[in-house]
Amino acid sequence: MTDRVLYCRDLSLQRGTQRILEAVNIAIHASEAVALVGANGAGKTSLLKCLLGLFPEAGGEIVLGDSDPRTTSPATLSAHHAYAAQSPHSVWDYTVEELSHLSPCAEGYLRWLERFALTPKLNRKLSSLSGGERKAAHLCLSLSALQNPRGRALLLDEPTASLDICRNEILAAVIHELSQQGAAILVATHDLTFAQQCQRVIILKAGRVIADGPPAKTLSPDTIRDVWGFASTSA
Amino acid sequence: MSSARTLKWVGLILLAVIALVFFSLATGPAGKGWGMNHEWFWLRFPRVVAALAAGFALGIGGATQQGLFRNPLADPGLTGVFGGSLLGIATLLAINDSWVWEHSWSLPASAFVGAILTSLVLVLLNHKNSTNRLILIGLGLNAFTAAGTLIIATRFSASRDILISGMTGDWLGMATLELIFLPTILCGIAALLLLTQARPLDKLSLGEEMAQSLGVNLYSTRYASILLTALAAAAATCLVGQVAFIGLLAPHFARALVGPRHALVMPLSGLLGGGLLLLADTLGRSLWPQAPLSAAAMTAVLGAPAFVWIASRQND
Repeated sequence: MTDRVLYCRDLSLQRGTQRILEAVNIAIHASEAVALVGANGAGKTSLLKCLLGLFPEAGGEIVLGDSDPRTTSPATLSAHHAYAAQSPHSVWDYTVEELSHLSPCAEGYLRWLERFALTPKLNRKLSSLSGGERKAAHLCLSLSALQNPRGRALLLDEPTASLDICRNEILAAVIHELSQQGAAILVATHDLTFAQQCQRVIILKAGRVIADGPPAKTLSPDTIRDVWGFASTSA
Repeated sequence: MSSARTLKWVGLILLAVIALVFFSLATGPAGKGWGMNHEWFWLRFPRVVAALAAGFALGIGGATQQGLFRNPLADPGLTGVFGGSLLGIATLLAINDSWVWEHSWSLPASAFVGAILTSLVLVLLNHKNSTNRLILIGLGLNAFTAAGTLIIATRFSASRDILISGMTGDWLGMATLELIFLPTILCGIAALLLLTQARPLDKLSLGEEMAQSLGVNLYSTRYASILLTALAAAAATCLVGQVAFIGLLAPHFARALVGPRHALVMPLSGLLGGGLLLLADTLGRSLWPQAPLSAAAMTAVLGAPAFVWIASRQND
């Protein structure tokens, strides 16, 4: 694992008087799927957004692909990554099919819909879908932006939230396949079972990285008790 | 939305607008007819062109504002941009009214400055993109710009009549080929350039972060949309005066017919906006020929209930 795709050093973020992230150092390589876990408010979403350059005020060094996302044009940057937001939402009520016009690769989007069993709902308005189906449709849109996974970053924020077991398993398989194809994947999640399927787990606590390594090592009962305040039965 | 259905609606609306143009050209104060001295050309043709151009620009401008603010209640009239345009014109008239007659560009230029200043205030104060906040800021800006225009109208008696008729959206009646030439061209340019923002505005509907991750440059999209909408509103103000609801209603009708994609909604909003404004003007001057109503009054009759209906369906 020498192909570093996503990297930050001494990353810090302050919003108002609140310190959100403090001296964060992480690196995600090609063909690697990494889970980012932590309690609510630990800074997972903020870290993902910093890595995408969405907080230009963030301090420290950030590299996405081969450039600093804070100073690179979104058009250039979008060729190097795909991102799925925590609570995707569209202000206009598109049909599932119409969402393809928002994708950089409409055919790819339709293929992902098929994979997530959403093809029968092509003509349905997003508002008429269940929360899980809507989330899956937006996930397909994000995944379609990753046209060539090799050396590209995929950042997913709580992708499993509101997905059913079946689509959860599909997503786990997709993440595995994309990492096999060379993508560098960072998944912020509360689902520790899902996190255990990743090659590496990064644990955030109060804006700091307190553990970074294989799931068996990082998700120990002691760490879980320290972060979440209870002993896990699944980890 | 299937492309066949989209084409059908566009074709039907285009036919309706063409029919309306002929009806409007053939309708005068004395009833139906083309007129003994080519009145249809000298009196009605400039008015029809002005209504179509202003409505077209406003329809596209409204769709752009709704896409940019991600808010179905946005409209250059309701957000105060029209008021800003008129205040710009009023300020020019107050400073040097002879300029308006000596330099044809000065009227659109002053309207544009007013519109752009109002737009910037709107963007700065509504950075959280809240529907309530947008409407409240729009109310405030409308009140402020109306007060400014009224003060100028009161203090400068030479400009009073023209400013009052501008505030009531009654300038179509003054349309001549010479007066409408530059604003009509500007309406067309602004509207066509706004169409280039269709794809970024589509992506913006997913939120700023998702749009940015899909390659949208928020700054260029935001500022191009604001500048061009201000230009469209300014040019339309020079043709009609203040007229609300066209920019609100046209995109709503368009979305109901062809779905929410801006590449379809924006041109159809333009077509519907032109048609609605022309219909309002034609009805206003033909239903009561002895006491014609302004286009703005007629659009308000249709637009105000629709606005209340749309607003009542909003969750904020």
